[in-house]
Amino acid sequence: MYFLGIDIGSLSCDAVLIDESKNVVASSVVPTGVRNLEAIARVTKDVLEQSGISEQDIASTISTGYGRTRVANRDGAVTEITCHAKGIQEAVPGTRILIDIGGQDSKAIHIGENGNVMDFAMNDKCAAGTGRFLEAMARALEVDILDLGELDRGAQSDLVLSSMCTVFAESEVVSLIANGTEQREIARGMNRAIASRTFSLVKRVAREIDGLTISMSGGVALNSGVVRALRESLKTDTIHIPERPDTIGALGAALIARERNA
Amino acid sequence: MMYDYFSSIVSGITAKLEEDPHGIHARKRYALAVAALGQRLYSENARIAWCGVTAPFDLLNSMGVTSCFVEFVGAMLASTETAELFMQEAEDAGYAADSCAYHRAVTGAMLKSAMPVPDFIIGTSSPCTAGLAVMENMAKQYRKDLFVLNVPQSESPAAVRFLALQIEEMAGFVAGHTGQALSKNRLGEALELTNEATVLIKEIYGLAKQKPSPVDSRFLNNFGVVITLFMGTREGVDICRAFRDELSHRIATSAMDPSQERIRLMWVQNRIQFPFPMESMLGDSGAKIVVDELNDVTWEPMDPDNPFESIARRILSIPFSRNVDSRVAHLQELAREYQIDGAINPCHWGCRQGTGVRGIISNGLREIGVPVLNLEIDCVDSRNLAKGQIQTRFEAFTEMIQG
Ligand code: SF4
Repeated sequence: MYFLGIDIGSLSCDAVLIDESKNVVASSVVPTGVRNLEAIARVTKDVLEQSGISEQDIASTISTGYGRTRVANRDGAVTEITCHAKGIQEAVPGTRILIDIGGQDSKAIHIGENGNVMDFAMNDKCAAGTGRFLEAMARALEVDILDLGELDRGAQSDLVLSSMCTVFAESEVVSLIANGTEQREIARGMNRAIASRTFSLVKRVAREIDGLTISMSGGVALNSGVVRALRESLKTDTIHIPERPDTIGALGAALIARERNA
Repeated sequence: MMYDYFSSIVSGITAKLEEDPHGIHARKRYALAVAALGQRLYSENARIAWCGVTAPFDLLNSMGVTSCFVEFVGAMLASTETAELFMQEAEDAGYAADSCAYHRAVTGAMLKSAMPVPDFIIGTSSPCTAGLAVMENMAKQYRKDLFVLNVPQSESPAAVRFLALQIEEMAGFVAGHTGQALSKNRLGEALELTNEATVLIKEIYGLAKQKPSPVDSRFLNNFGVVITLFMGTREGVDICRAFRDELSHRIATSAMDPSQERIRLMWVQNRIQFPFPMESMLGDSGAKIVVDELNDVTWEPMDPDNPFESIARRILSIPFSRNVDSRVAHLQELAREYQIDGAINPCHWGCRQGTGVRGIISNGLREIGVPVLNLEIDCVDSRNLAKGQIQTRFEAFTEMIQG
């Protein structure tokens, strides 16, 4: 018996297929694009092909993410907050604070000792500090988004970009470039802007974070510069990044599908 | 034009009620009273006062003044999906787009001459001084006199005296503008009617506390605030009786499905005023709002022999008039009495009451084991709300409560 989790985010659509023993047997990440039904069909096809099973072998499917109600053959839809909390418990057991920065959402989740969500906070007014923000910044800096993570190496300044608005931050970058500010300093300023917004989300869910295991999920966790800035602002040596931070939501959804089918 | 609009609503609801003369129809009777108030506000020979939320409406009713707090107009415009036009007008005139949208909407309506011109204005420093600024604007725009009730933040004897004297002075101000002196008898009768209505309101809240609660998420929406407009009138008593009877009827006929109440919620401060499928969003997870912060009776019965002092005590007892500790203590009390599982604080944009003390309120409720969902939404300006985002937060909150 297999269990499928599908996470339909604003930037990417992810699927994770697990077996009865919670082993990940297949996973897929594709851009969501404008036609999310196509993305859902693609990731489903991918995991079926990778695992060599047929659709009938899937005992249960749980969908999550902003497009969770778009999955036609789902057995349930669960929010990304619950799914990320569930997924990270499997990937990094003992996580108490989870920072998830996805395409247009950033969130902090406080997880209890029993693995249940105790509190969560999300960005409300704007997508600043999320994957979309990083895309805009990469565009303004004229670098590939994948190279953004190492761009701040060696930067020292205290520069922090405006974290209120993606568009304003983008024009701020343009004027910093025009003023001759080094690219690495701008990149550091951008990472610090994301870190400062995320810091306040974390503080909203847990006043004290000393001694708590902090992990990060979502595509932005793959950006080492952001992770470094977050470590600095949270005053912690370690932020655990699971092997596949971008599929934690889908993994959580698959685990919930398995639990509900028990 | 507005008079005709309200008149047509009044005739429509009256005709509906006549189809079933023995039915209770609490919300319809309430809607009828609100439409009739709109009709009076736009009728040519009425004495009109625009007021702050905590103005003594029973006193004003007893003096023959048709009065209304301005935020109610903002809420009405939002509920009829016409607020945007007026907010835009206010913004175009230079009002900050992130100020409280209740005030932006009403300011735009004033600038567009869509509001009836008042005879005078009664401002109150509670619940917020932002409302007071709107009153000052109105006074300038309409060139009308403004009387301000400064509401202290404590219930000390000195505060009661201070406010009671102002209320007495206000009655003189009103009489000076209407040419009709305050009648102690009429005020006494109005306060008796307030007391009669208050007994019924307490019964309503008592019934709402039951488990399962006979209310649905919408039933007492805005009730506590709006009903103050009808205090001191027979109409107010009748509305309250209809609400009480409808809840008793629901209990007697076991009309409420306990599966719709797996999660009992408290709503902090004001509700979302524009059409928004909140009830269905919550209902899908078996959650419902059983209590609102603004639905409570925190005062003793009015003493017709000592009217100004009892009105002052009433105003000062409202947790919103007091400091944040009183507000938190009140929320904790409601949480316990209604046995709620979680609270939702919309943290209405631009509202200091809503956003300024958000952390203190959250901590106060969490201290007694009540989780809080803090949103950052505009309850009046639908342009500022992303439905999908709110749905995710509601669902995640209910998933969290259910473990
Ligand atoms: S929502 Fe806040 S700012 Fe607006 S009227 Fe009410 S108390 Fe004042």
